[in-house]
Amino acid sequence: MLHNKLAMAIEQSCQVLIGKQPQIKLALTCLLANGHLLIEDLPGMGKTTLSHTLAKVLGLEYSRIQFTSDLLPADMLGINIFDNNEQSFRFHPGPIFNQLVLADEINRASPKTQSALLEAMEERQVSLDGETRPLPSPFFVIGTQNPSHQSGTYPLPESQLDRFLMRIQLGYPDKEAEKSMLKAQLGDGQHTVKTVMDIAEFIELQVKASQVHASDELLNYILRLVTFSRESNQFANPLSPRATKALLSSAKAWAFINNRDFLIPEDVQAVLSSVAEHRLRSASSDFSTQGSLSKILLESIDPIAA
Amino acid sequence: MSNKQNLESKKQHSLQSSKNIALLLIAATLVLISFSLFSTVLTWILLLVTCGTVIRGAIYFKYYKHLPSIRTLNLLALLSILGLIYSALNAGLLFGMVNLLVLACALKLMQMRSQKDVYQLIISLFFLIGCGFIFNQSIGFSLFYGLMSLVILFSLACYHAPSIAVQKHIKTISVLSLQAFPIGLLMFLVLPQLSPLWHTPKANGASTGLSEQITPGDIAALSQSSELAFRATFENIPPIAQQRYWRAIVMEDFDGKTWKVHQYRQKMRELQLKTKQQFKPKLTGPYFDYTVIAEPTFQSWLFALDLAQPTGPRGSRNILQSSDFQLFSQQPLANKFQYEVRSYPNALSSQTLTLADKRVNLQVPEQGNKKTRDWVSHLRSQFPDNPSFIQAILRHFVDNPFVYTLRPEVMLVDPIDRFLFDNQAGFCSHYASALAYALRLGGIPSRIVTGYQGGELITNPGDSAYLSVYQYDAHAWVESWSDTTGWQRIDPTALVSPDRIEYGLRQAMLEEGSFLADSPFALARLTNIAWLNNIRLFLADLDYNWSRWVLGFNSQTQRDLFKSILGKLTPERLSMLGLGIVLIIALLLSLFFVPHWLQNRGSTTQRLYLKALNAIEKTGTQRATWQGPNAFNQQINEHYPTIVSEPFTHITQLYLRLSYQNIQDTSTSVLNVKQCHRMMRRYLTQLKTGLLKADTNRIKRT
Repeated sequence: MLHNKLAMAIEQSCQVLIGKQPQIKLALTCLLANGHLLIEDLPGMGKTTLSHTLAKVLGLEYSRIQFTSDLLPADMLGINIFDNNEQSFRFHPGPIFNQLVLADEINRASPKTQSALLEAMEERQVSLDGETRPLPSPFFVIGTQNPSHQSGTYPLPESQLDRFLMRIQLGYPDKEAEKSMLKAQLGDGQHTVKTVMDIAEFIELQVKASQVHASDELLNYILRLVTFSRESNQFANPLSPRATKALLSSAKAWAFINNRDFLIPEDVQAVLSSVAEHRLRSASSDFSTQGSLSKILLESIDPIAA
Repeated sequence: MSNKQNLESKKQHSLQSSKNIALLLIAATLVLISFSLFSTVLTWILLLVTCGTVIRGAIYFKYYKHLPSIRTLNLLALLSILGLIYSALNAGLLFGMVNLLVLACALKLMQMRSQKDVYQLIISLFFLIGCGFIFNQSIGFSLFYGLMSLVILFSLACYHAPSIAVQKHIKTISVLSLQAFPIGLLMFLVLPQLSPLWHTPKANGASTGLSEQITPGDIAALSQSSELAFRATFENIPPIAQQRYWRAIVMEDFDGKTWKVHQYRQKMRELQLKTKQQFKPKLTGPYFDYTVIAEPTFQSWLFALDLAQPTGPRGSRNILQSSDFQLFSQQPLANKFQYEVRSYPNALSSQTLTLADKRVNLQVPEQGNKKTRDWVSHLRSQFPDNPSFIQAILRHFVDNPFVYTLRPEVMLVDPIDRFLFDNQAGFCSHYASALAYALRLGGIPSRIVTGYQGGELITNPGDSAYLSVYQYDAHAWVESWSDTTGWQRIDPTALVSPDRIEYGLRQAMLEEGSFLADSPFALARLTNIAWLNNIRLFLADLDYNWSRWVLGFNSQTQRDLFKSILGKLTPERLSMLGLGIVLIIALLLSLFFVPHWLQNRGSTTQRLYLKALNAIEKTGTQRATWQGPNAFNQQINEHYPTIVSEPFTHITQLYLRLSYQNIQDTSTSVLNVKQCHRMMRRYLTQLKTGLLKADTNRIKRT
């Protein structure tokens, strides 16, 4: 029954973002694995739409922060203002106090603001003027980022990229999908999405996803992948233990979305490029191989042989 | 970005430098091993080795970047081969081959670029170490070569995996060596001990050992060495000091100055070598049984206490005895040589004196040494019977102030006159030479025997005692013929310097201080310092045991060992032993391999699935190595007819269920593991028949 709701959520999202089912599934996987999502693509590819749709479908409180170079941490976290009536400081929570926060164009903000956001992401709480305030639960950040070679950007350092569970790219839709998108716009205008579940149900789904069974053999496969990234000289930044954990939890969520209660190597392979690509860096300075590092990793390990 | 590149280039650099260190180590090993073969390897080849090392060093320290070009090296190789052919033509095969090996290594060192080159050089180095053992077998060299092997292994490991830490390499190599050691030991004990297939080097050791002629008058200072001559292990109590006359060479030809081995005897010996005929004197009385381990002398003389007979199977096969009681081996002693002898110290040497013997042993030059001639003829007229004549001559040594010295004056003209009447100082050869000459003048057949006298007795509680005899124990004495008792030993040195006979040269030369005067650092000089002497004795003991148990281990000792294990050597027992040894080696190897193999074998589930994969892959569809089972199954479903894809899908599903599903969770798995395996096997046979059918269908269609 819960699974049906999950399928409905995917179906609903697909009506908005036509032809992007794999990406939607990955994004949902990320949220089910209780991780933050980084969407990297050119402007106008539907990054914002995707996050907005997900928030709506899953019934999460949503806010959006547009990152600019002059955005200060306080603009995002909130501020203490003196209230004349009560003769005391009152906290005005910033837009980050929401269940799903869209951090738009995250790499246009200054490093200071970036790190304030990333700290909040990791700790799931905000420390301001000596007071610690918990963020709502569940708490997700969907960061979007323009490819780093565009002007006016501060690329996120590797240490902070690691905090995003997954990074996905939306890419251009195919001809068929784009055509139906145009048709939809000409017809009844903006498609309205329905909320299919409440927060309690969503949290239950998260719990169920984490209970997917991972056999020893599958764990060994993950370990072989991770070890290979450390022992091979092709990777300058191998996968960290945090990445190992991320790989397992995302694979579990992926298996759960695909209605299976145990993990098979294909689950790991499906999420590998989203989980690993932004954490790996090539050892050679040749940029041509940069795009396919996780593919190199994937194709180096045999999931069957012990 | 530049920072990142920097880091990467640094990493690359460190890998490269670790490889370079390995290459430098290999070069150093080559130099050390080649120089350990100093006496065999030609000097210019050693120079080439050094050049190669310098080139490697220059590249390591970045003084220079390029290896010599192939063209240069080819020219060098061509010239070297010509040079080697020139030098090796008359030096023998072994010499040539060892030099060729070193030369090849040196050139390879200069040329070494690729991984293949490195591996080739490393294998050649191991071969070179093997060659080293032909020439050097002492403990020191064995340790050295062992160390070199470890260094080579280490550099190989460093070269092969430059990114792994040095400590890890050291650990791996020590573990491997420790694992190999028992196997090596077993091999040493049981592999057939073959005699060498090559001719061992002969000439280069001529300086050591006894010489075949002595000219006492020409020697101003007797050079001595503290090198070991041989060791003798006694089964019972060793003889007392005065009895330790180790006979080696008998000299009968005297020309007034020089004593040498008579040509007549040499011819006899050659004849004996050809016919393998033994001279077997009948010896009686109490005897000593002992084993001698002689150091390589590159001569064929052997040492034994007076009047000895070779015993034991090896002794009688390889050792011949000539009619003047000399023992000699059939081949010069290029290596340590062990043999068993039995000596009869009190045996009457009641042999016949042939006419030829008599003529040889009475022969004196007609001219020279006039004073002695006159003196002897005077004495002879006084004492017509032989014993009192001999006594009278010996009394001359006692009554006059004769001195035993290692630094005599040179006596070039009429040496015996000058020694007997003017100088009256000399060492054993002077005394022996003068006495033998005088006796011959008096008509008594006599000759000089050289050999060793004395030896350092070492007794270990619980072990048999042994005597170490050093080069400085060399001695000469006289044998004269008596019709009643045969050949009798007379040692004039004993009259002049009894200490020499009873306590050895060291004691006799205490006042003069000339003992080992030309080798000031010889440990044997320093016996006064207790701990140094202890070290010396310990080293001597170690060397003795090494010679006895390791170098002396040959086919005979091997057979003895088998006998002590098996009792009697029947073919069945021997084959049992062989089988047992093979089993032990297999067991040792399996201790290493089995855990590894068990780990890699995988579970039954996996093996069944892999069988299915194999069956499919035989038909030409290869699974990409990274492809998961589900993805591959989909591929099969797309490309194969149902008779194949259906059983394969079942197998895949069962495999996935067994490998990845939660088996403990009973709600999901109705079937237990064994049932699943049975099903997998059934589907596997279905799959195989399906594949066969599909194949025949396809052929029919085409």
